[in-house]
Parts: sequence; structure tokens; C-alpha cells
Amino acid sequence: MSLSPLDRKVLRDLWRMRSQAFAIALVIAAGVGMVVMSLGMMRSLDATRDAYYDRYRFADIFAPAKRARKSLLAEMGDIPGVSQIEGRITAGATLDVAGISEPITTRIHSIPASGEPRINALVLRSGRWPDPNRPEEVLASEKFATAARISLGDSVDALLYGKRQQLRVVGTALSPEYVYAIGPGQLFPDNRRFGVLWMGEEHLAAALDLTDSFNEALIRLDRAAVPDDVIAKLDNMLARYGGVSAYPRAEQISDRFVTNELAQLRTMTGILPPIFLGVAAFLINMVLSRLIDAEHDVIGLLMAFGYRGKAIMLHYAKIAVALSIPGLALGIALGSWMGRGLAGMYQEFFVFPFLTYRAGADIYALASLATLFVVLFGVFQSVRRVRRMTPVEAMRPPLPPNYAGGVAKLISRLRWLDEPTRIILRGILRRPFRSALGSLGVAAALGLYITSAGSSDNVAQMIDILFDQANRADVMVTFAEPRDERALFALARAPGVWRVEPMRAVGAKLSGARKSKSDGLTGATAGSDLNRLVGIDGAIIEPPARGVLVSYGLANELDLSAGDPIDVQITEGRRGRFELPVAGVIKSAVGSPAYVDMAMIARRMNEAPLASGAYLGVDPARIDDLFRYLKATPIIAGVFLRSASRTGLEETIGETMGIVTLFNTGFSALIVFGVIYNNARISLAERARDLASLRVLGYRRSEVSYILLGELAILTLAGLPFGIIFGYYLSQWLSASLGGDLFIIPFGLSASTVAWAVLIVLLAALLTALFVRRRLDSLDLVAVLKTWD
Amino acid sequence: MASAPPLYRIEGLTKIYGEGDTAIAALRGVNLDVPKSAMVVLLGPSGSGKSTFLNIVGGLDQATSGHVHFEDVELTNLDDNGLTEYRRHHVGFVFQFYNLVASLTARENVALITEIADEPMEPAEALALVGLESRLDHFPTQLSGGEQQRVAIARAIAKRPKVLLCDEPTGALDSQTGVRVLEALDQVNRELGTTTLLITHNAVIAEMADHVLRFADGQLADSRPNPKRRRPGDMKW
Repeated sequence: MSLSPLDRKVLRDLWRMRSQAFAIALVIAAGVGMVVMSLGMMRSLDATRDAYYDRYRFADIFAPAKRARKSLLAEMGDIPGVSQIEGRITAGATLDVAGISEPITTRIHSIPASGEPRINALVLRSGRWPDPNRPEEVLASEKFATAARISLGDSVDALLYGKRQQLRVVGTALSPEYVYAIGPGQLFPDNRRFGVLWMGEEHLAAALDLTDSFNEALIRLDRAAVPDDVIAKLDNMLARYGGVSAYPRAEQISDRFVTNELAQLRTMTGILPPIFLGVAAFLINMVLSRLIDAEHDVIGLLMAFGYRGKAIMLHYAKIAVALSIPGLALGIALGSWMGRGLAGMYQEFFVFPFLTYRAGADIYALASLATLFVVLFGVFQSVRRVRRMTPVEAMRPPLPPNYAGGVAKLISRLRWLDEPTRIILRGILRRPFRSALGSLGVAAALGLYITSAGSSDNVAQMIDILFDQANRADVMVTFAEPRDERALFALARAPGVWRVEPMRAVGAKLSGARKSKSDGLTGATAGSDLNRLVGIDGAIIEPPARGVLVSYGLANELDLSAGDPIDVQITEGRRGRFELPVAGVIKSAVGSPAYVDMAMIARRMNEAPLASGAYLGVDPARIDDLFRYLKATPIIAGVFLRSASRTGLEETIGETMGIVTLFNTGFSALIVFGVIYNNARISLAERARDLASLRVLGYRRSEVSYILLGELAILTLAGLPFGIIFGYYLSQWLSASLGGDLFIIPFGLSASTVAWAVLIVLLAALLTALFVRRRLDSLDLVAVLKTWD
Repeated sequence: MASAPPLYRIEGLTKIYGEGDTAIAALRGVNLDVPKSAMVVLLGPSGSGKSTFLNIVGGLDQATSGHVHFEDVELTNLDDNGLTEYRRHHVGFVFQFYNLVASLTARENVALITEIADEPMEPAEALALVGLESRLDHFPTQLSGGEQQRVAIARAIAKRPKVLLCDEPTGALDSQTGVRVLEALDQVNRELGTTTLLITHNAVIAEMADHVLRFADGQLADSRPNPKRRRPGDMKW
């Protein structure tokens, strides 16, 4: 079957436009690739997390107690909605590991005598399970073993319930419960200084005097269960056994972090890619309209010959679709490949034991249809615009524009302008709307680049707020039990310590009118220097004399605003219950959700001011002496370093966002190049005839280049300020949208990022100019003479 | 003009461009009958209205007032779709600047029309009629101006239109090449009986007509038969 002449024209036109088609393909590929990559990655991570939780039976509810007899488990299992229950023993301990000077905080969980845990099952990554007959054998969490350089067979000294024991690591494991392993009071993982161990139940029970008992129940629910009802019943049953308050998976710290990070990724991937696709589609729409406008004489001819509107539309639709297909294919291939790669990187980052990759035909179809819809809409509009003319008008070259307008007159009056510059200015002003669109394209591309690259600035800003302004203690220590001020005096005399400030975390369940959350209160003191409360805007916030300062996230969750009462149920010590007003809602970059004045809360709890730990200012030269001192001090349960937290943050949020940022930046750079190149090529096509005529009249190549490249330069430069403004606000909006339950990302776009973005645009313009210049040199002068002007 | 039923009957044809003060009357009430199979040459200076007349008769443009009857059809009543169908089935165009599609070969440019015609010639046959049987697969840029115009004529006649409308078909050509193009038109008119309306600035060309119309200032200034129709090859300018 032979092709119809119009279809041949399609093929030849495509071949003629191949370099432009390439630029179009890049822009479409960037838009589609972003969407496919992001959706595919997000979906895969969600699926992977869900599959991990499901396969390793991550608990739905955690119910801690002081000590409960095992026979209670059967009763608890009878609560409607509970499908599976397991009791275990969980304890805190400090470790002394060879090669690490500071004491290491650990959490130890029991492995049931019957074998492996049924709930919160473990993934054995290396070595073997502990031998039930060897009390010293333990499993260590893989990240911790790696970071603390503990090899299989290594022994570690543990201080467990006041007794020193030697443990031997015989295997490493992963648990769905410790995707994020965070020490008590910590916000970021420090795998070197916080670890998780699992050991045989019998031995752990013996060490803690909990034989035939458990101090934590793990519960899996039926699908139909109402978690709050189950929790209420559990609390009831465990109250006698020192039950604090059972909490759902969503309040479990690791899950909260994973959810938070995935939510941030989802926001990043939910906001930017559609904007990318939108910008790409807008640009393609613009390019196609101009291509079709340039074909107005052919359309007029086809109309004159009696081709019906539909046939003409179909012809250009074919060209447009054919132009889109390489971009779609490239975008889908690239996006899938990168999405898979990214998901893989995140799999390693979160340490999921496997990756369930999901990208699916629906994502491909969605991205393709969205693109094609915009492209075809552009074709429809452009063809219709030409078709509204009579064939005679369409076949004629466009009428000479009316230069009688005010601006044009102004140009005429500027006598110092040379003729080529006049040509440039009039060319731009002749079609102000089209010129504006060209600049807008540059602006959109620049804005995307700034926003993509600016994400790193926001994270840098957050790190600055956290570690240079808020948390300025070199070392934070936590106590095994809350202590009075004598403990602080002792610390003040410890080697290297030049300042001590109390740290106070009070276990509490906070309730608004409808919802409640076990989140605790953080005590703060006015005039603190080592640990200050810093708002997202960098302002120092002092704790309120009365009432609670509630974080933005918690206020939203519990539906609280200033003046509302909060029901505070203390879950430690004497367990008081009282009401406090919301003193204010603050936006802090990161940190505990509810702040109270330390002295005030002590009064309300009827106790002397206690500290759960301390912030220390330490002379760096004597830090090892301090660690030695702390190791020998029994009341110290944990030691945390600011520098390590900083690294932890940089490695978590910095990396999760960093990878995506890198890819976003790459895609936006593609769009920048695609846009500028297309702008130039279309101008060249539209002006080739005028420019060739000027060459015939004796203009030099450089003079002719000046006209075309001058226009390109003006349109590009005019786009820059708008692009910077667009990027600034988009970036600000993105940072505001990224705020989660645990962090708020401040807005910290830096001048250097903007400067780089502008530089990239200028570079793209320069490269394009060189390329177009070469094309100008080969203008067909004879063609001008052959046909109409 | 003739006693047999005419192909076109044109009454009071008027075309005004623009509005108000800037309005320009391109045609002011033209009345005319065009007989079937005639070779009609339209003369007149620039701006006399002859192109506007041809465009309206060809269904490329809309009249402001007046009527154009084509056989039984009132063209001035047709909407855009109706005019499209009229052009598609009945009219062949030849333009001054050929208007070939640059990305199609000679054969394909003709096929562009035969594709959508009811009983077309083979493109090769149409090109042979204008003496281009050896240039079938050349692109427009590989052809001389005269050859390009002959491709345009082949394209116009390939669908066996009832009427062939030519706007300055030799305007961009030297005289020798122009004669070849006119010979092709003359041949088509004689052999296929295609009614032909041909605009020209060149009064000599009127010698090949059955009928000569002279336009001036938007009106038909003169309409006379040419009793001694000559072959283009015998004409000189």
C-alpha cells in the first residue's frame, strides 16, 4: 500500500524538522519522564513498605506495660478485632563497643523461646539465629552493626539493668519496626550511637527479672477492627500492670519517620512533575502553533483545493503526534528506568529487604494522554485559526503589520537606533503576544530549574536553623530515670563541660476536643543558650509562662488553636491529669510538638523540677575524657552528639530529597535547552526569508546574525526576571507544602542557586546561538528570488 | 455572452474590504454570464478587481453582495463547507507563484488533488499532458519556474474540473516559458473542454481567448468575444 501524498508530506516534514523534533522530544521526555519516574518511584516505595510490613507482620498496635503475666495475653487476644498477639520483653541498655569512646544506647527485644518472633518478624541478613542454649548470643540491627563496625562473632559489653553482661553478635537482622532506628529523644538516626539487639527471651527475662512475664504486647488487627476501641480495651486491661497507653502504628517512631519521608517525597513528586508536564505541554503547544502558523500558505492551498477541515486537521494532528511520540517513548523509557533506579536507591536508603517495583501501564497512559491532549488541542487551535481565514488570505503572506502604534512610533523617534536594531524591536513588537510567550517559555523553564535546584537550599537552611541556631549543645545525655538538679551539678563538674542546661521530656497523652495523641511535652527554660526554640523564620521563641506552645503539625492534627484547652494525661511518675491552655501555635523547623515551661510543668505535676537529661557545652579537646566519665556513670542512659545528629539529618532528609532534587534539576535543564533552542529555530524559520533578502541586499553575515540573535537575546533576557520571580514563589510554595508531622522545611533559596540557574539559561542561549549562526550562514539566497516576497 | 445555458451566471457581484471610512470597494456590481467550455481572459490594471472576481467565482472568498450561480447552485448562499465541496469537485486553480508543496515531488503534488477527486486522471497522465513525463519524481526546488507552473496546471486539471481558474499563470515567467505554459492550458481547454478563466496583465495573451473581459475600478469595463482565437505558439511579446 502506498502512502497518500499528505502522509508523505508528514514524513518529509518530520525529516526536515528533525533537529527541532529532537528538541521537542527532549522537552516532552522531560515532562513525561518526570511524571513516570516520580509516580513509579512513589508507588513502588509505598508498595514495598506495605509488602514489607505485611510480610514481616509489623504490629498494628504497641501496648507497653511494666510487667504483665503471660497468661494475660490470651485474654487480650480475645478482644474483638485482634487477630494476632505476642508478648515480648523490651529493655534499654548501654553498650561498650571496642573502638567507640562514648557509650552506645541500645534497645533490646526478646526473641520468643518458640523460635522467631511472629509479629515484627525479623529479616536475617547475615549470620544465624542465636542458640537458645547460649545466653550471650544476640542479633544486632544491620545498620548499627555496620556503622559501629561490629563483625559477626564480636563481643560487646552491655550494662543491662545495672548488671554488666558480655554479649556476642552472631547475626544481623532487619525489622519493619526499625526502618528508622532512632534513639530516645532523638530526631535523626545515628546508627553508630544507637543500636537494636535481639536476644533469647529466657535470658533477657532472667536479666530483667521478668520470667513468665512480658512488658510489651504487639497486636495485629483484623481488617474490620476499630483501632481506638481495641486500644481503649487494652489500656483497661493493662492499667493494673503499669500499662502506659497503647499506641497505634502511626505513632510508632520508625513508621512515623518513614511515613513522613515518603509524604515529603510524595509532595515533591506530586507538585513538581505535574508542573513539569504542564510547562512541557505549554511549550510544545507554543512550538506547534508557530509551526502551523508558518504553514498557513499550505493550509490555504489545501483549502483552495477543496480539502475538508477534518482532513487538514488530521494532517497536522499526525505531524504533532509523530513529533510527540519520540518524546513520549523516551520519557517513558527514561522515567521508568530512573524511577526504578531511584526506588532502588531509596530501598537501600531506607533498608527495605526487597523492592516491589510498580510503574504500570496506567501511569504511562496518563502521562501520554495528558501530553497528547495538550498537543492536539494546540493543533486544533492553530489550524482553526488559519482555517478561519479565507483560502485567499491564508495563501497570502501575512499582511504587513500596522506600524502606526504608539510603541512603534517611539521606536521611529529613537534616532540613534540603527536599522537592524529597529528591525529587531519592530519584529518583537509586531507580535507582542507571541514574543511574550517566547519569553514566558524561558521564564517557565528557568523557574522550574530554580525550584528544582533550590530544594537543596531549603534543606541547608533547615540544617542551619537546627544545628547553628536551635540545638547548640555539643553533647546531649539522657538519664535512665528523671533526676533532680544534683545530677546537673555533677555533670557541670565533669571533664570538659563548660555549660549544663537541663533537658526535660515528660511522657504524656495530649487530647484536643476530638482527638488525642501520645506525644509528650518538652520542657524548656527561658534564656536557654544550648537548646533554643527557633521558629521557621529563624526567630528565637521563649517558652510561655503558662500553657503549651503547640507545633503547627500537632495543632492541625488535634484541631487546636491558641486559647483552646488541652487535656494533658501524664504517663510517667505520679500520672497526673490536668488541663493547660494552648499559649500559641509555632512553626519550628523540627522538634517536639508541644513545649511547656519546665518550672510550670513541675508545679503542675507536684514534683521538684526534674531533668530527663542534660545539654552540655563541651571543650572539644576534652571530649574523650568526658566520654570515659559518662561510661562510668550509671545514671547515663544515652549520649548523643550534635555533630552526629547533623550528619544523620544530612544523610536522611538531605539524601532523600537530594536524589530527587538531582533528577529534577537534570530534567529542568533539559527543558531550558529545549525551550531556547525551539524559540531560536522557529524565529529562524519565520525570518529566514527576510534575512535572506537582507543578505541579497548586501548585508553581511554578522549583520544578519545580529538581527536574529539580537531578538533571541532580548526575548531570553526579558524572560529572566519573570523566571526568577516564578522560581522564587514556586520554591517557596514547595517548601511550605513539604512541611510534615516531624519537620517543616524552611524556605532558603540562595542567590547562588539563582545565579547558577541564570547562567545555565545563558549557556543554553549561547550554544543555541552558535548553532543557529551556522544555519544562518547557509541561508538559501536564490530561493528568495525565485518566489514571492 | 452566449445562448446555451451558461456555466456561471453572475449578478450584481460586489466585494467591499474593510468598514466605514477605510472601506475599499474591490468589486462594484459585476454582471456576467460565462459559457461552458469557453477560454476567457480577464484583463485590467492592478487593483481593478479581477483577482477578487476570480477568487469569489472560485469559492476562495465571500462576496459582500450579489449572486454567483454555478449551474444550478447559488455559490453566494454556500457556507464554508459548501464552498469546500464546490472547490473539491469542480474547480482547478493555477496561481501566479505555483504554490507547490515543497516537500512533495511533482507526481505527489498532483496526487494531492487526485486523492480527493471523484474521477481523476493518473498523476503521470496529467503531467504528460503538460509535457513533464520525464520530471515525475523531481521536487519543486529541482524544477524551473516554467516546469513548476506546468506541474501546477497538471495538478489543477488532473481531477477533470469543470472550470480552471488561473491567476497570472505566466506572471513570473519569461515569454518563452510562458508560451509553453499557455500551450498546456490551451490544450486542456480544447481537448477536455474545461472552461478556463485566465487573469493576465499581458494584453497579447487575450488573443488565445474565446472571450475577453476588461476590468477597471471594480467594474466590468468591457466584455467582447474574440472571433480569431490564436494558438499560444503564434503569439509574441
